[in-house]
Amino acid sequence: MSAVEIVLAIVKILILALFFLNMAALSTWADRRQGAMVQDRVGPNRAVVYLPNMAARAIVLLPPALFGVLAIFTSLGQVVGRAAAERFTVNVQLTILVAWFSLLVLCAKVRSGGAINRAEQVFEDVDPRSIFFAGLGVHAIGLVAGRLVPQASWPLAAQVTGFVLGGVFLLVGLYATSRVPDGKIPLRLAGTLHALADSIKMIWKEDFIPKNGDRLLHGLAPILAVFSALAVMAVIPFGNDLCFADGNKNGTLDFSDLANLMATVPASGVCNGFRVKLQIIDLNVGILYIFGIAGTGIIGAAIAGWASDNKFALLGGLRASSQMVSYEVAMGLSLVGLFLIYGSVRLSDMAVWQGQNAWGVFVQPLGFVLFLTALCAETKRVPFDQPEGESEIVAGYFLEYSGFKWGMFMTGEYIELVFSSALLVALFFGGYSLPFLHPDGITVAFGNTVLFQYKMTHLAVSLISALAFFGKTVFVTWVQIFFRWTLPRFRYDQLMKLGWTKLLPLAIANMMVTGVVVLALRNAGPEADAWLKLLGDITQGVVAVATLAGFVAVVVGLLEPVERKKFLASSAARFAAAMGGVKPEPQQA
Amino acid sequence: MEPLDRDLEEGLLELPSEPMMLNMGPSHPAMHGTVRIVLELSGEMIQKADVQIGYLHRGFEKMCERGTWTQIFPYVDRCNYVSPMLNNVGFALAVEKMLGVTVPERCQYYRVALGELARICDHMICSGAMCMELGAFTPFLYFARAREIIWDIFEEETGARVTHSFGRVGGMANPPTKYFKEMVRAGVPRVLQLISEGEKLLLKNRIFLDRLEGVGVMSKEDALALGWTGVVLRASGVPYDVRRAHPYMVYDRMEFDVPVGTTGDNYDRFMCRQEEIRQTARIIEQALDQMPDEGPINIEDPRIILPPKQDVYTTIEATIQHFKIVMEGIKVPAGECYSYTEAGNGELGFYLVSDGSGTPYRVRIRPPCFATTQGLEQLITGLMIPDVVPTFGSLNMIGGECDH
Repeated sequence: MSAVEIVLAIVKILILALFFLNMAALSTWADRRQGAMVQDRVGPNRAVVYLPNMAARAIVLLPPALFGVLAIFTSLGQVVGRAAAERFTVNVQLTILVAWFSLLVLCAKVRSGGAINRAEQVFEDVDPRSIFFAGLGVHAIGLVAGRLVPQASWPLAAQVTGFVLGGVFLLVGLYATSRVPDGKIPLRLAGTLHALADSIKMIWKEDFIPKNGDRLLHGLAPILAVFSALAVMAVIPFGNDLCFADGNKNGTLDFSDLANLMATVPASGVCNGFRVKLQIIDLNVGILYIFGIAGTGIIGAAIAGWASDNKFALLGGLRASSQMVSYEVAMGLSLVGLFLIYGSVRLSDMAVWQGQNAWGVFVQPLGFVLFLTALCAETKRVPFDQPEGESEIVAGYFLEYSGFKWGMFMTGEYIELVFSSALLVALFFGGYSLPFLHPDGITVAFGNTVLFQYKMTHLAVSLISALAFFGKTVFVTWVQIFFRWTLPRFRYDQLMKLGWTKLLPLAIANMMVTGVVVLALRNAGPEADAWLKLLGDITQGVVAVATLAGFVAVVVGLLEPVERKKFLASSAARFAAAMGGVKPEPQQA
Repeated sequence: MEPLDRDLEEGLLELPSEPMMLNMGPSHPAMHGTVRIVLELSGEMIQKADVQIGYLHRGFEKMCERGTWTQIFPYVDRCNYVSPMLNNVGFALAVEKMLGVTVPERCQYYRVALGELARICDHMICSGAMCMELGAFTPFLYFARAREIIWDIFEEETGARVTHSFGRVGGMANPPTKYFKEMVRAGVPRVLQLISEGEKLLLKNRIFLDRLEGVGVMSKEDALALGWTGVVLRASGVPYDVRRAHPYMVYDRMEFDVPVGTTGDNYDRFMCRQEEIRQTARIIEQALDQMPDEGPINIEDPRIILPPKQDVYTTIEATIQHFKIVMEGIKVPAGECYSYTEAGNGELGFYLVSDGSGTPYRVRIRPPCFATTQGLEQLITGLMIPDVVPTFGSLNMIGGECDH
């Protein structure tokens, strides 16, 4: 392994580890606060850092200024050809995005805090949704208008729009800075600082070990829990393969080659230079490695239950080990159908297959449901949280833990949650691929009829694919958090019954049926292949349309002004209303 | 080589096992108030359960023998702290029975309306807490939101959200406010809507139904033998409701159904509660319709009812009257009586003995959940540890009342 490979591996580990740890903290925050969020509140929001006024202004000013200067500097150099067209389009779209988003934020500020000058009074009566829709309209107009620019003036257009973008960034930054109020600025970040405060608190808490507990095992258990949660991320592919040209023609990849990223890559993804995978290590056993390592997580829970010298903890440890042993079987078998279709157990191959054909959730819907269920059981989350069983066995296997050892169990649990989302994305939601996004750009095609084609550079495609992976993971994590607060938990024997008498036979049946169908289709001839390709493209189209519709629906929903009924029930509420206060009263609820 | 165990009997080859003793409580998330259950476990199966109450004992009955009759109201508030208004009304009715007086009609309707609001609260919180202990937190939030509406009405009417101490012998502390009917008519439909929304999350959920159906079955005969009353008895199939069997106040003028269960399991108890909330809403509606807008709330008897504050400051008669009632208490004629009403979780009885002074000689309470809790041992024996949670939850045991 050469030095450059080691450095690349470290960088990849850092990217993934930081993502997982930060998401774990964020999902802890979201998970613990869901109760308050159901009631339209952020929840306890007392962790606060007071920033000096100048620092707050600098924080507001620096990022836009940095982006602005960056945009202007990159536009000083000349680019030609396709790269110029791409830069021109990106500049225009970014300018529009920054403009409408800033107007939206400004509008929200004016509506909540009042206008500070005459120009801002315009926004007092503006519906935020109209800004959003106008923004979308301008985006579309920008796309169409961009096509009218003749090819000869692409480089000039790229430069001019780059300067405009920089100017808009600087303008937004300066205006936002001028709106920062005087005095110290409390930084709360919607309560997310609470997670940070909690972890600091946990470090200083007493590390309690029961008198008759096993000191060694008691300390070992949380380490095992976190280790297995972190080690499994090694085989998750989080982006397109990067392709570097051999700049100095010496036949090996070295540091100078890292600057020579290929400009474009053909649609087949074939790379003539050096291929660097956005995956820490591409093991040939792939998913089997995940099963192996994730299985060791139960040892942590089991020995935590044993070493704690507590009957509740012992029960929790017992439940943990038996539950995970039973669900491991169904979990493995539910994926066999997927392996048959993908023809590989490598996660990188799976992502490529899904990008070229259809997402896993469409080819194996039953397998997806079974795997999701088994995965929930594996990560010990509601409705499968018997090992923890808060109201039954108090806290289960980590009952006798405090301080950061407890924190490690919690961190491990939430990393597992994020990891399980990443795994679901890699196996069933297309990994890093997006519908119609190929290594050479966007090609909207159904069967052999190409509707729309747009060439993109290798850099842009790779960036988008990595962002797509992380975005999908965040979304799936968010969905998984919803389970916790809605579902009651199973009883222990019902859980075993579900695992052995429902999931396992279904997984085996799924495997058999998939095997027969795959065999039949392989021997069906080229016509069937064409139909399958068309079907696959249709699913991609469905995903693309559904994503866009969902995005618009969410934004519209978020921007919708809240209608409140005016009936005031209690005199306290009436009194508060008369004084101009806002005591929320239940009739609004 | 010979096998090592050639001399051993088959039975001895198994590892020796003995049941595991497990203390659940008194400090445990699922033990409402503070109850301790000593379990004898084989794996997770409960072979023997020993329910021990008394960790919340505050000497309620002894305390009552110290002050005047009126000073007991705050104590009964704290017996069933989930529906204090029903206890207030129940105790006021008991003392009025000894005095041989009946409160004006308007007050009776007022008491019915307030009491039934408290009953909705009681049932809702019991069901919600049970779901929450099963792990489903969101339905509980719906119910808690609905409770907030009712508590706001109580706050407006009585000045307190939980422990109102609003009942008085011979009436209520205050007449209904101007907005009373309007508030209740706006609030109750909203409460019912929230309850339906919360129910939707539960009743179509297979996991929830599996946890309740067929768990903790109590037969009709056993329920009667244990002295169960209220929802838990009706869920076992006995249609006994004090409001229907022995109507007090104006309940005989109300139209409502008494929901009855068939099997007496947790599911029946849950469903009976939910249905009773809807019937209670019907009663509230009728009470509001029939309740006169004008008229006295308190009886006209200066020996029982405090004079208006204005008169206390200006006339000597009122000052003396006020002094006598506050310092010596209401003179209840010597004798004894048993008065019973339908509280949130069953028949709430007061057995009062008076020696003719202003202080009770003896106040004996029959808290409904005292009888209910003694059936818990029978219910959970043979079940698993996780079943203790919904079974105990569905009995609606209130610590402050049980440990009287």
